[in-house]
Amino acid sequence: MGIIELLKWVPLFPFLGFLILVLAGKWLTKSLIAWVGVGSVASSALLTALIGAEFLNGTMRPYQLVLGHWMEVDDLSIPFGFYLDALSVTMLFVVTGIGFLIHLYAAGFMESDFGYARFFAYMNLFVSAMLVLVLADNLALLYLGWEGVGLGSYLLIGFWYEDPNNGYAARKAFVMTRVGDTAMLLGLFLLFTQLHTFDIQLLMLRATSQWTPGAVLPVAAATLLLGGALGKSAQLPLQSWLPDAMAGPTPVSALIHAATMVTAGVYLIARTNALFMMAPPVQFAVAVLGTITLLMSGCSALVQTDIKRILAYSTISQIGYMFLALGVGAWSTAIFHLLTHAFFKALLFLAAGAVIFCFHHEHNIFKMGGLRKTMPLAFWSFMIGSAALSALPFTSGFYSKHEILMAVFEVSPLLWVLGCLGALITGIYSFRLVFVVFFGRERPAIESKLGWRMSLPMILLGALALFGGMLRIPLDSVLPDLFNIDHGFNLVSFITATTSFIGLLIAGLFYLTGTFSVQRLAGFNLVKEIQGLFFNGWGIDALYDTLVMRPFKTIAKLNKNDAVDGIYTTLVLLSRGSHFLISASQTGHIRWYVSLMTLGTVAILAIGWLS
Amino acid sequence: MNINQLIALAPIMTIAGTAIAVMLGIAVRRNFVLACSVAAVGLILSLWSLGSAWREIPIQTGLLIQVDAYMLFYMALLLSSGLAVLGFCYDYFKDREGQNEELPLLLLTALLGGSVLVGSTHFAAFFMGLEILSISLFVLIGYPLKQSRPLEGAIKYLILSGVSSAFLLMGMALIYAQCGELYFSGIGGYIASRDDMNIMVLGGIILIVAGLGFKLSLIPFHLWTPDVYQGAPAPITAFIATVSKGAVFVLLLRYFISTDSYAYKPLLNIFSVIAGLSILGGNLLALLQNNVKRLLAYSSIAHMGYLLVAFIAGGSISSVLLIESVTFYLFAYFITTIGAFGVVSILSTPQTEAEDISFYRGLFWQRPWLASAFTLMLLSLAGIPLTAGFIGKFYIFAGAADSRLWGLLFAIIVGSGLGLYYYLRIIVVMSTNAETTAIEPAQYSISTAVLVFLTMLLIWFGIYPTLLVNVIQLVAYAT
Repeated sequence: MGIIELLKWVPLFPFLGFLILVLAGKWLTKSLIAWVGVGSVASSALLTALIGAEFLNGTMRPYQLVLGHWMEVDDLSIPFGFYLDALSVTMLFVVTGIGFLIHLYAAGFMESDFGYARFFAYMNLFVSAMLVLVLADNLALLYLGWEGVGLGSYLLIGFWYEDPNNGYAARKAFVMTRVGDTAMLLGLFLLFTQLHTFDIQLLMLRATSQWTPGAVLPVAAATLLLGGALGKSAQLPLQSWLPDAMAGPTPVSALIHAATMVTAGVYLIARTNALFMMAPPVQFAVAVLGTITLLMSGCSALVQTDIKRILAYSTISQIGYMFLALGVGAWSTAIFHLLTHAFFKALLFLAAGAVIFCFHHEHNIFKMGGLRKTMPLAFWSFMIGSAALSALPFTSGFYSKHEILMAVFEVSPLLWVLGCLGALITGIYSFRLVFVVFFGRERPAIESKLGWRMSLPMILLGALALFGGMLRIPLDSVLPDLFNIDHGFNLVSFITATTSFIGLLIAGLFYLTGTFSVQRLAGFNLVKEIQGLFFNGWGIDALYDTLVMRPFKTIAKLNKNDAVDGIYTTLVLLSRGSHFLISASQTGHIRWYVSLMTLGTVAILAIGWLS
Repeated sequence: MNINQLIALAPIMTIAGTAIAVMLGIAVRRNFVLACSVAAVGLILSLWSLGSAWREIPIQTGLLIQVDAYMLFYMALLLSSGLAVLGFCYDYFKDREGQNEELPLLLLTALLGGSVLVGSTHFAAFFMGLEILSISLFVLIGYPLKQSRPLEGAIKYLILSGVSSAFLLMGMALIYAQCGELYFSGIGGYIASRDDMNIMVLGGIILIVAGLGFKLSLIPFHLWTPDVYQGAPAPITAFIATVSKGAVFVLLLRYFISTDSYAYKPLLNIFSVIAGLSILGGNLLALLQNNVKRLLAYSSIAHMGYLLVAFIAGGSISSVLLIESVTFYLFAYFITTIGAFGVVSILSTPQTEAEDISFYRGLFWQRPWLASAFTLMLLSLAGIPLTAGFIGKFYIFAGAADSRLWGLLFAIIVGSGLGLYYYLRIIVVMSTNAETTAIEPAQYSISTAVLVFLTMLLIWFGIYPTLLVNVIQLVAYAT
């Protein structure tokens, strides 16, 4: 077969990089660390490009590679098996390609950081785990990668661990995704006990042949898997960890919390699409949850002042679109949006990182302004990124989002209306950010020098965000294509395309020309309250605080002394007490000894005669 | 007395003869090394003569002693233990002031008493053996007579032992008054011939139990134990804990089997109460004890309680299994107890007795091998697997479960839990690193050799008990 047999090296390169950096990072110089850290991912990317080219030019038949056995017990057999098809090739391109660009960027961005080796070690570990996730041919191995990326995410969010808030954010992300993961694990168990395999292809085959659509088992299994997807992809009701996850370094946010890991849920659902099609109610729930999430987080993005939080909410919102697409059965469109989103969101984050870099870690957009001239690269990156994000025509985001909305219209016009509303909001918040940061009164940027390592990825990603819409990898060999969308001009298509323009216009009126003022709007109490609600992410955190954390803490406080342990403490006290009590009989006086002996004899005589 | 009887009695006579030889030797020339050597040679000869006696059994020698497999096996155990204790005594006493030559002599007479005891089938031999043993012990306990603690222990043991002998004799008198018999088998015949219980015989047996309970340090006759254990020199403590108690227990078992006293159900109630009290009380007393010798004393109370449970189970299990479990337990108990006190005696110097727990702080870092041996002994006492103590305790559990003695079984479990605490505490103390000045290791080659041998036995019988079990079963079936 040729180069495709080297597939195992795609995840192995970053893993080796991780090992080297963990074991020897202490003794390496910074440039060597960068070479190892970036080089490992670059090797993967190069290999992926070669493998991808061979695969796409070939028959595109799925390729399976078994490296060995992880565990084998009775009828349970879990191999280290990789599965390459059009879907995993797409994901490989995203993970290694964008991963490489972000690593290169990070080599410049993190240059002055003390934990340079640690950073790249974690990043490589993450990339390796993510590659295992997308390549796994069975759900158990996929789960290994799934938890691996969760670990990487945890480590990187809390990378600057000196600040307890970052540690808190890391724990929050980890625990909240664990909630979903637990559901997913249960789903895995359910699938295994019912279908006796973890192999995804076999599983889908058996599910479709053994189960009837809409029955309890497929619905339960799909629901449980959906739980995992919701947690990882930060969708309602498990979305509130993502904005806090912005505590990590910006390249981390770009790679993990925008381009790759958070889309794992989308990948999972697409991968197990046969199962979800067996469970129509769950699939519909995916669409509804996606829609609600995209609207809610879009609203939240409207009022944020932290540049990264705006982008975080917009990520949640865009993944909401992907879920919506999955929910209506536009499988390949969802993956297409995943691809384009990875381009423009990574670009936006890297540009935001550049701005933050130059502003000495200032995150508040209202303290910036007029950066258009001082930071032209960041400005143009933001322009392209925001255009793609709000799906202005002829950017990559336009193709994918337009397709999603058109597909949605065929299934449910109501969801289409909501989706368009979301697109409007997207237009507003994207350009609000651009106008506030890059236009308006100029503030002096203190340090605006970006090295080539930071500029080059931004330029390349900018190109991808613009033209990435043409890079569509045909997925019809993997995912069923149910829609035959008419690409001609009609009213629905027109409305879909223009909503984002309206958004852009509104943002311009508010933030560029100053025709309307937010301050005036905020004068109304109602508006103020809504603004507060949006700002706090719809109070999801407060809700969990009341529903889960406070009762838990109360119970914990009630049981502060550990009632169960009390039994053992009592035993100890009892033993000690008895010891001292009996020890008192050891007086050392011989008269007492003799008396007790005699008493004892009388006692046993009594027992003997009386019993 | 014919030649066969003489051969059968040869082991006992060898000990007696050796005692006389040692005594005469001392009269000619006081030499500790010589006295010990003669005693050791005598013990080895006696052990060797057990082999020829084995061919003559079972045989009744004279009126008082029955030489059978049971007696010979336990004599072998007692004499070997005596030899081990002699080894520890040699190193312990060789550098001490005073006239130590009589020490091996007294050990020999004590062993003579013990040997008579395990072979006795008559009240006279029973009492004589017990008194020979006890009187030797009074002197042995108080041997370092310039120190107050040994003297105190000796006096206490003397007086209390006298009290217990009084109970014992009164019990014998009551039984004799009713049965007119002093032979165990005769008493057995009397008991078997009556359907109802005789209150006089019952009372007599209870008094005998009280007397023996004192020797076995069972609650409520246990109060002397810590004082005497603490006062006596460490090797002698090992001797009291093993030879004296073992011989008495063996006698009790023989008495009960041959007189068929299991028929008296109230006795089993009494034993149950005593056993339960001893197990719980002994372990509780040991719980927070900081003196290692006292701790081992209390733990021996509990161990005798465990043993008594097997004894009680004898009421419903076969006598073969009864003898098997009691014998294995005693064997393991002998090894571990002698080993544990051996460690104490190796660590003791003429100036200080190694009895306070602080003395053992950081022992693992200063004398790792000694500490390891002690750890193994303690683990065996606690009944941790891969030591002989575990197999012994397993027998007790099996017997108790077979006889459905659930209450006592519960007591054993609770007791073992408590026991684990104080045994492990010593181990923890030994492994704590301390800044104490290193104890300069004395050259105690004989003691060390004995300890190594005991440790190896302990592990061997813990991992591979089959050999010992086979021997014990042979004895049990021959009895």
